[in-house]
This record gives sequence, structure tokens and C-alpha cells, in this order.
Amino acid sequence: MLALQTWIVHALFIFFTTESVGELLDPCGYIKPESPVVQLGSNFTAVCVLKEKCMDYFHVNASYIFWKTNHLTVPKEQYTIINRTASSVTFTDTSLLNTQLTCNIRTFGQIDQNVYGIRIISGLPPEKPKNLSCIVNEGKKMMCQWDPGRETYLETNFTLKSEWATEKFADCKTKRDTPTSCTVDYSPVYFVNIEVWVEAENALGKVTSNHINFDPVDKVKPNPPHNLSVSNSEELSSILKLTWINSSIQGFIRLKYNIQYRTRDSSIWSQIPPEDTASTRSSFTVQDLKPFTEYVFRIRCMKEDGKGFWSDWSEEASGITYEDRPSKAPSFWYKIEPSHTHGYRSVQLIWKTLPPFEANGKILDYEVTLTRWKSRLQNYTVNDTKWTVNITNDRYIATLTARNLVGKSDAAVLTIPAYDFQATRPVTDLKAFPKDNMLWVEWTAPNESVNRYVLEWCVLSDKAPCVPDWQQEAGSVHRTYLRGNLAESKCYLITVTPIYADGPGSPESIKAYLKQAPPSKGPTVRTKKVGKNEAVLEWDQLPVDVQNGFIRNYTIFYRTIIGNETAVNVDSSHTEYTLSSLTSDTLYMVRMAAYTDEGGKDGPEFTFTTPKFAQGEIEAIVVPVCLAFLLTTLLGVLFCFNKRDLIKKHIWPNVPDPSKSLIAQWSPHTPPRHNFNSKDQMYSDGNFTDVSVVEIEAANDKKPFPEDLKSLDLFKKEKVSTEGHSSGIGGSSCMSSSRPSISSSDENESAQNTSGTVQYSTVVHSGYRHQVPSVQVFSRSESTQPLLDSEERPEDLQLLDNTDSSVGNFPRQQYFKQNCSQRETSPDSSHSERSKQVSSVSEEEFVRLKQQISDKNNLHSLKISICPSGQETVLPHGLFPFQSIWDSTLKHYIN
Amino acid sequence: MQAQLLRRTLPSLVLGLLFLSTPAMGICLDKYQELFGQLQKQTDIMQCTSLLLDPYIKSQGLDKDGLKEHCRERPGAFPSKDALQRLSKREFLRTLHTMLGSILHRLTALQRDVPKAQDLETLNRAKQNIRGFRNNIHCMARLLPDSSETTEPTPAVPATSPSPTPTSDTFQRRLEGCRFLHGYHRFMHSVGQVFQEWGESPSRRRRHSPHGGLRKGVRRLQLSRRNKRLPPRGQLPR
Repeated sequence: MLALQTWIVHALFIFFTTESVGELLDPCGYIKPESPVVQLGSNFTAVCVLKEKCMDYFHVNASYIFWKTNHLTVPKEQYTIINRTASSVTFTDTSLLNTQLTCNIRTFGQIDQNVYGIRIISGLPPEKPKNLSCIVNEGKKMMCQWDPGRETYLETNFTLKSEWATEKFADCKTKRDTPTSCTVDYSPVYFVNIEVWVEAENALGKVTSNHINFDPVDKVKPNPPHNLSVSNSEELSSILKLTWINSSIQGFIRLKYNIQYRTRDSSIWSQIPPEDTASTRSSFTVQDLKPFTEYVFRIRCMKEDGKGFWSDWSEEASGITYEDRPSKAPSFWYKIEPSHTHGYRSVQLIWKTLPPFEANGKILDYEVTLTRWKSRLQNYTVNDTKWTVNITNDRYIATLTARNLVGKSDAAVLTIPAYDFQATRPVTDLKAFPKDNMLWVEWTAPNESVNRYVLEWCVLSDKAPCVPDWQQEAGSVHRTYLRGNLAESKCYLITVTPIYADGPGSPESIKAYLKQAPPSKGPTVRTKKVGKNEAVLEWDQLPVDVQNGFIRNYTIFYRTIIGNETAVNVDSSHTEYTLSSLTSDTLYMVRMAAYTDEGGKDGPEFTFTTPKFAQGEIEAIVVPVCLAFLLTTLLGVLFCFNKRDLIKKHIWPNVPDPSKSLIAQWSPHTPPRHNFNSKDQMYSDGNFTDVSVVEIEAANDKKPFPEDLKSLDLFKKEKVSTEGHSSGIGGSSCMSSSRPSISSSDENESAQNTSGTVQYSTVVHSGYRHQVPSVQVFSRSESTQPLLDSEERPEDLQLLDNTDSSVGNFPRQQYFKQNCSQRETSPDSSHSERSKQVSSVSEEEFVRLKQQISDKNNLHSLKISICPSGQETVLPHGLFPFQSIWDSTLKHYIN
Repeated sequence: MQAQLLRRTLPSLVLGLLFLSTPAMGICLDKYQELFGQLQKQTDIMQCTSLLLDPYIKSQGLDKDGLKEHCRERPGAFPSKDALQRLSKREFLRTLHTMLGSILHRLTALQRDVPKAQDLETLNRAKQNIRGFRNNIHCMARLLPDSSETTEPTPAVPATSPSPTPTSDTFQRRLEGCRFLHGYHRFMHSVGQVFQEWGESPSRRRRHSPHGGLRKGVRRLQLSRRNKRLPPRGQLPR
């Protein structure tokens, strides 16, 4: 239903619209005012008046009116229905600059129709123009400018108005691009006051500036003087005359001037005192100028009374003052050069060209005089600034004058001291420092009066020699700067020499930099010595060419591969440093930086590894160990020596040599002794392993019987005859004992005392440790070890019984001890057979011996044990005759 | 007695009518010395032949030998120096004002014979200067006290303007123009001399423009002018 109604309304609207196209062109109403310009912030009321025709047509009245500003409906509170056809809207405090206001009606309850629209323009009225001023550029028309005041947001016209008392001039309308100035169309008339003001006008009002009344001639900016020229005077070297042509304004007004000048190489202008140029003129002579100096001039002018404006500066013009005689003597110095002529010196006199302000002209030449003490003066004319002459070793006085077109300078006097002159009295507290991009030198004067000072300086370099430059200062100067072309980052050696009346004083030197910089290269560090926990680093001083400044300190940076970097500052005077607390067996990386006042520079990185042990540490370990070993060995040897008997007993018991026994003498089958005498042979064979020690112990200390003594004599005889064949195996076993044996002793006592223990051993020819020996040998044992009683070993006794049953009746006080019982059960048949063979052969003799023994009542018991497997057989002490017998017997049996 | 009174008041009345006839516009310089200085400077400029006569002679081809001799002021065309010196200040100013008006007309006529734009510009500048001079005379006249110089006799100045006798001869017209300009410069020179006498002669200054009386008069003029001009100022046609 609603949709149908809406459709009908639209259709009707279109119908009416199409029906009355022509009528719609005629608006249904209008708004008053038509084109309002509203002042910002003010109230504004617009009235919309509907036409009767439309009201009837759309069946509306003023109450149907609604307002829109920029397509936004204005609240109804601002509406006022004036009557049936008119409705107004009021805006307070208008702030929009440009507003579209439309009057609308709602027809048929829902169709909004625009009745009329206007555009409201907002802005501000013009402010009163301020600061109106005018200028009359000579030859041009007057131009005035002003301050327009605030922005009006409206098109505002400015009009410059001007008039005389009797005449009014045409208005000057500003152009759009220059709304704050205007140039009038008429030429200014000087000496007639004119009144000028500005009118500013826009839609919201018109305002007029203050009137200014002036004579245009007081607003003139003259054209600058032209054709400025400069001329000098031959009579006066200190003046220059300027001439110029004034502008045409000079015909109307009087002028004053500003004249400025400067030297050609300066940028600072000096000005002639204004009071000297306060009147109209066309020339001016500038005084107190320096001779032979080029000056640049410029000039400007303005009205003499100061009203108006200064003209622009004229074009510059320059001129050179005339020459004057040199105002100062040149700086004068000398160098002594080696001469090959004996008694002469080569002296190079050097001097500086005078600066232009002292030369006062072009220097044509120099005149040098040289005077030896009380000799004739010699004059020389030199065009150069140096002159070399050979002089004697005497003292000389040289003078120098510079000459130009006008005259000569004063003479510079220089005393060349004698060859043997000793300079003294130097300056003190010599300092050099940079300041204001200059290298200043300061010193304290000596106590004596100084005529002047000579400063010499040169660049210190390892690559080039020191070529000095120099300058001279007056004797009153104690501080100056080096006036040479100095370079930054160069080390200068500066020498100050005071010059006294009698010659030069002792020079003093100092090094300085005009400007320091970081070194070009860092120091190269290396190790001098590397220890377990420390490293001695060393480096060379940086060459002066790369220092670029005073090396204030070094910084050593070192680190391990994984560790943090450590920095150490080192004084610049050092060339080595010891890094301590290092870790052993570690790779270190070290680099070094050298610092000047302006910064530092790193050198190359160097690596080194600390050793695992400190120097001498190994020796400290090894030597004591070795010493301890040696000591231990020595102690061991000593112990062994002291305990040799014990050791020998345990390891290598002495076995008496059976071949030296009396038994051997008795035995017809004594084996060839030569096989037994040679130790070497014995040791070379080295196969005797089974040693039987036979120990014969005397039953008591009774003296032997005569028979025994007889047999002993026989033994002695035999001993003498077989001296060279006696075996010494006992002495060579374990220790080479010098203990006498029975075989080597001739004395009875000693035989009785020492032969109480006669050792014999039978070296059984069986292999060592079951090896089969190749040769059966005998060895004598010198062991004093008594044969042990084998009570616990009845088999030993049994063996004896079995061996010799005939002697079984012997008392059992003395006995043979068999250390090894294996012999009895040894399967070694060769030894058994051999033993049997021996017993079968000498059975008869054995019986006889047995009888002899049995005859003796106090015969010692005897026990013998044969140990083919190398067991010891011990004989009892004190039975030498029997012992010999037994030896022989045993040997016989063995053989 | 009445005749004497009439004789005294008549010049003032004429001068007053003269200046009243001038439309009141900007404000005159109310400093006598400055104004007087301006007048002197103007006469110095205007008597200089380099501004008008010399360019004219050159532009009109009258700078040939012998022709300059004919470029002489026509006698009686401008008041003589003596005649001007005999005038009172007020009469002098009035005469000067009148003469300058005539000169302006003559210069306008002379412009028709000057084809070159540069010469036209020169003539225009000269005319503008004369207008300015007349403005200053106007202002000076207003500075003079009303009662001064009433005893001076009527000046013997040409009653007519210095217009030449009309002629169709171009050369003659040029020559007349040259004579006119010559007379103009001479006249301005004479005016300058008169002004110089104004400044130099204390007695004359005292007689013609006593400071006290002048200052009073100026003050009075200022007051009256303010009273008269200030209210209608915004209503004056511009």
C-alpha cells in the first residue's frame, strides 16, 4: 500500500515536472539578499519568499519551507515564518567563508523541492594600510608600498591616491600580483609637496591609510656616480685621486657620498670619513695609502641632507699608489756549508724578499757588503735572494739593502761569528702550539738584549732531508707564528736562534704539528719472548712520516679465540711490554694501536701460542727424577755392596773350586784345568747352571795332624804348580770378591783362619733352567756359607749312606748339606751314569781314603751331597786337609 | 578714506578670489622656509636652459650659426626683473601665477610643433614642473598674511599672455617658440632673483614677510584652513 502510494507520488511529480517545464525555469520563489557578503562572525538572515503560483500548485505555504546549507538541513529553530509566503533563517557567528544556502519545500508530504539558492560569501573588511612609504628612483616614476593588514578573504582593491594642494593625480591601481605596491604613472615633480594615501576596499568596506605629505625629492634614490676612475701621484706615494660623474639628479639636489676602498687582496672595505664627503663633488683624493699598493674603490651618493635613499654602489675602480723606497730592511740570515779548502768556510747568505707593503715598489736588486775585522769593505750586487761566498774562519759582518726605483732600504746587518765561536745564551721556555690554523711559537727572551730572532723550521721525515725554512722577528717579539706554507699532520722541527750584537746565540729546538691526525699506520707488534703465562711483546716506534702527531700512548689489545678482548695502555716511550697472567698452551691474538691527540690507528694482528710448560720446567722435573734414580741406584749398589754376601748367598753363592782342592791333587784323573781357568771361557759358555756347593765344616778347632799338615804341604806344592790354573769363579760371582781363598794363600795362619771356609763348587754341566750345557765345567766356590744340617732331610743323609756306607760310622756333627733334593730323582741319566762310572773306577782309592779317615778319632763328620741340578754343596769349616781330599775325591768321582 | 580702504582691500580680495578659484585639494606645506626653499629651487631649475630651450633649439634645428642670435626674447612678452621687483609679494605671486598659466598654454601649443617623443616628454616634464611651481605659489600665497603689502602699487605686468602672433610659417613658429622659451627662462631667472631678494633682504623680508607676522599669519591660516577644510574634506569631490 505504501509502495503504491510512493509510486503515485513519484508519477505525479514527474507529470507535473514534465507538464510545467517552462514554468519550472521560473523559480517558485527567491531569497533575499541575492548575493550576500557576510562579515565573518556576524549574524546573517536570509528570507525565502514563495510565489503564489507555486504555493497553489504544490499546495504549500511558508511553513513548508526548509533551509539547507551545503546540502545540510538547517535546524528549524533557526527558521522564522514571517507570513504565509515568507520564511527566514538566521545564522549567528558566521564562520564559513563560502556557503551555499538553499530554500526548499516538501511537496506532497515527501518530495523535497529546491526553490532557490544563493551563495553566501564571508570575509573581513580591509584593515587600514600601514607603513605607507614611497621611493623615487632617479629617472623613474614614484613607487609606493604599504602593509595591507590582515587577510580579508575577499577580493580587496588597493588604490594609491596622490594630489597636490591644487591638483589631483590619477589613481594608481595595484596589480593583482603586487597588491601592496604601486608605481604612479606620472613623473615626480621635485620641490612640490605631494600628499599620498592608500585606499583599501572590498565588499565589506573601504578604509584609507594615513596620508603622507612629502617632497618627492626627499624620497629620491639617485643613480650611482659613474665613470669612477683612480689615478696616482708621482709626488706622493700615499695618495690616489678618484674622479667620477654624478648622476643628473645633481642638477636638482646636492649630494653627499660614501667612498669605500680596500686593497686588492682584501675583502674588507674601509670607508672615507663621511664628513669628508658630505657635499657635492666629482672627485676626491684618498690619503694615507700604502705605497705601491693596488686599491679598489667604490662610491655611492644620496641627497646631502640625508633625506631619501642611498644610491647603489658604483662599479669598482682600482689604482696603484706610486712607489716609495723600501720601508724595511730584508730579513737576513746565513748558512755555513762545509768547504774543502782548509781555513775557509763556505757561507750562504740568504734573505727574504720584502712583502709588497714593505718593498714599496718593485725590488730591482740587492746590495751585499762583507767586512772582515779591520779589513776593506766589499760590495756585491745580487739579483737573487741568496749568495754564497767563501770566507776565512774569521768573524765577518755582512750588510744587505734592497733597492727599488725610488731608493734603498735600510741595511740589514748580520754578524757571522768566527769558526771557533761558541754560541751561548739560548732562549728558554720554548713552546710551539697550533692556534687559529697557524703554528705559533713562544719563548722567553734571554736576559741579554736581543737584536732579533731567527726562526727556522723544517718537516721531519724519514724519507726526505730536513730542508729548513726561516723567518726573522724583531728583538722585542716573544711570540709569533710561522709564516710559511705549513701542512697538517707533518712534524715540524722549529729552531729559535737569538741574534745578539756579537753574533748568534745558541739555538733551541722544539717539535710541533700544525694539526695532528690519527697515525696512518698502527705499530706492528711481535713477541720477544713467550712464556707459559706471560709474553714479552715488542714493537718499533712508528716512523715519523706515519705518526701524524705526537704518539701519546699505545694500547695493546689481546684476546684468545673465544675470550674477550683485553686492552692495556702503554706509555709511548716504551717499546716493549709484558703480558702476564696468560693461559698456557693457548693461542693469543694481539694487536696494537697508537694514539695521537686526534685518534688512533690499529696495527696488524699478531698471533702467538703460549707453551704448555715453562722454560726449565721439564728440566726441573727430569733432573730430580734422574738424580733420584741415580741416587736410588747408588744406594742400591751400596746396599748390594754392603749386603753382597747376603745377596751372593742368595743369588750366586761361591762354590769352591774343586780343582784346587787337595783331592784334586790326589786324584790321578784330574781334569784339564785349563778348561776351567778362563773366566771368559766360562762365561762365554754361560751354561753352567747347576752348581753344587760343598761346605766342609770342621768339627772343632783342633789343630790338624801332621799327616794333615803333610798333605797340606802337598797341597801347597800342588798349589804352586797349578797357580795359574786355579779357578776364581767364586770371586766373579755376584761380586768380584778379593777374599783370599786357600788356593791363593801361602800362609798357614791365614790358611787356618780363612781357610776355615774353603768353598768348592761343582758346576754341573746341565743347562740353565733345563737347558743342556755343551761343556761340563767346574767352578770353585768361595762361599763361607756353612753347610746346613739336613736333619729334616733324611734323604740327604741317606744318600750319603747309600753312597758310602763305609763311612756311615762318622759322627753326625758335621755334615754336607744338599740344598736341592731333586738330584736324587732327577731323570738325567747322563749324570747318574757318569756318577756311577766315577764310583766304580776309584772304588779302591776311595776305600783307602775311608780307612785314613777312620783312623782319625776326631775326624769330623762329613757329609756330602751331590746336586747335579746345580744345588749348593757346602763343606764345613776347619777341615782343610779333608776338604782338599774331598775336593779331589769329588772331582774324581765327578770326572 | 573709503577709497584708501578700497585700495588696500582690493588686491587682497582679488588674490583671495584667485586662490579661492583654485579647487581645494591636498594640504599645502605650512612651513614658510621650506616652501620658500622649494620655490627657489624650482626657479633655479626652471631658469636653466638645458631643460627646455637647449633641447628645443637642438630638436628644431636652430642650433646653427647665426640662428641663435635670433632666438631672443620678444620684448614685453614677460615682465622684466625690475617690474617684478616692484611688486609686492602678494602681487608678485599673483603675477607669477598668472604668467605661469599663460606659459602652460603656450607650451601646450608648442608641443604641436615637436614631433619627437623625447621632446614631448621634455615639454611634459616642463609643464609638470610649472604646475608644481604654481602649486607652491598657491601655497605661499596662503601663507602670506592678509594685511601685508597692501600699500604696493598695482604691478605693471603684461595684461595678456605671452602668446605669439599666429603664423603659418614653420620656421617662424619655431623661432617664436625659441624666443618664447628664451623669454621663459629669462623670466624664471628674474623670478629667482626676486625670491633671492626675499631671502637676502632683512628689511624687505621684514617688510614683506616678517617672521612674527608670518608665523602669526601661518598659524592663523592653519587654524582657518583646518577649520575650513577638515569638515568638508571627505565630501570634496575626488
